[in-house]
Amino acid sequence: MTTLLGFGPLLAATESAQVNLTTRSRIIAAVAAIFFFALVLELIRRRKLQERYTVIWFILALGMLAGAIFPQLLETLANVLGVRDTNAALFALLLLLLLALAFESTITASRQGEQITRLAQENALLKTREARRRAAQAFEDDES
Amino acid sequence: MLASSRDQQSRTLIFLPAWNEGESITQVIADVRTQLPDATILVIDDGSWDDTVEVARAAGVEVAVLPFHIGLGAALQTGYRYARDNGFRYFAHLDSDGQHPAGQLPRILEPAWSDRADLVIGSRFTQEGDIPGSEFRSSPLRRLWIHILGRLVSGIHGQRFTDITSGFRAGNHRAIDLFTRIYEPDFGEIEGLQSALAQDLRVLEVPVVMLERQGGASYLTALPSLRFMFKAILTILVGRFRGAGA
Repeated sequence: MTTLLGFGPLLAATESAQVNLTTRSRIIAAVAAIFFFALVLELIRRRKLQERYTVIWFILALGMLAGAIFPQLLETLANVLGVRDTNAALFALLLLLLLALAFESTITASRQGEQITRLAQENALLKTREARRRAAQAFEDDES
Repeated sequence: MLASSRDQQSRTLIFLPAWNEGESITQVIADVRTQLPDATILVIDDGSWDDTVEVARAAGVEVAVLPFHIGLGAALQTGYRYARDNGFRYFAHLDSDGQHPAGQLPRILEPAWSDRADLVIGSRFTQEGDIPGSEFRSSPLRRLWIHILGRLVSGIHGQRFTDITSGFRAGNHRAIDLFTRIYEPDFGEIEGLQSALAQDLRVLEVPVVMLERQGGASYLTALPSLRFMFKAILTILVGRFRGAGA
């Protein structure tokens, strides 16, 4: 990490205490990423997940895999964010990602809510039209 | 009733959003018929689990049945869409619980019929305060809310309103067109008023005598007051900048 202002020695002391990913956690992360990747693929195959919603999950799985294989990536990321602790950077990033996903879900839910409302209204109006048509038909049949 | 309004009456749709109002709706329909014999009546059933639909059909009016409960705004919009689809030029809507007396319908329809307003709001209050002789009594807290919200909207839009949450409204095809396009499922009354003002519709408030509810539960009081206030204020402030484009 680059030396900042005059606090170099102080920062260096804390930097050395930086927590890094252990080999075991990397293996667990890699396995989880691969499993997740397979799950996404399988869900698409079974048509349980619409393709337009899969991009973000693919990227997430890829990111997990990349982070597990190249831990330096995480450190670079932590440096860019100005966070001294790699793990803190990881958590912060994941939190932000989850927040973005939750927000995106709310937007989707709002849009779908509107579509459902429209459908329900159309459905109600169509049924009245159909009932009226049938009543007119019955009346005509009676006449003839 | 003026004889000249017969033609306008026949081009008027009176719609009643209903949610479990089986007890009171027959009387409301009968009252509307007595007042406006030439108008068309439509009941919009918002997912009732009681006998609202059967009772209304037995009363001889058309019923639009929503497949599930959505909310007052969506139910009202169904009425507006019906009015547009079937070429009605005027509308009025009132609650099915009997708190909006049908006897006041001509009063709120008259400004629309005589082309003095595009949207008419029946207010429980006059500019001075409560209407003398009105049986309507709401809780002091709720009246305070309505008052504060009214002041807020009045201040923002530069026109005095006393009862912006009133669901007793009338209007013409311009309002029908607008509300067919946009109507919020929550607090549609406030947002509807604001979009009407944003679209330069002529909005008029008319004092009317309202009654105590005959049955059922109000959409408004069913909500916790604070949440209602927060959302309403947000609606008002955002609505000011939203216009009516969406």
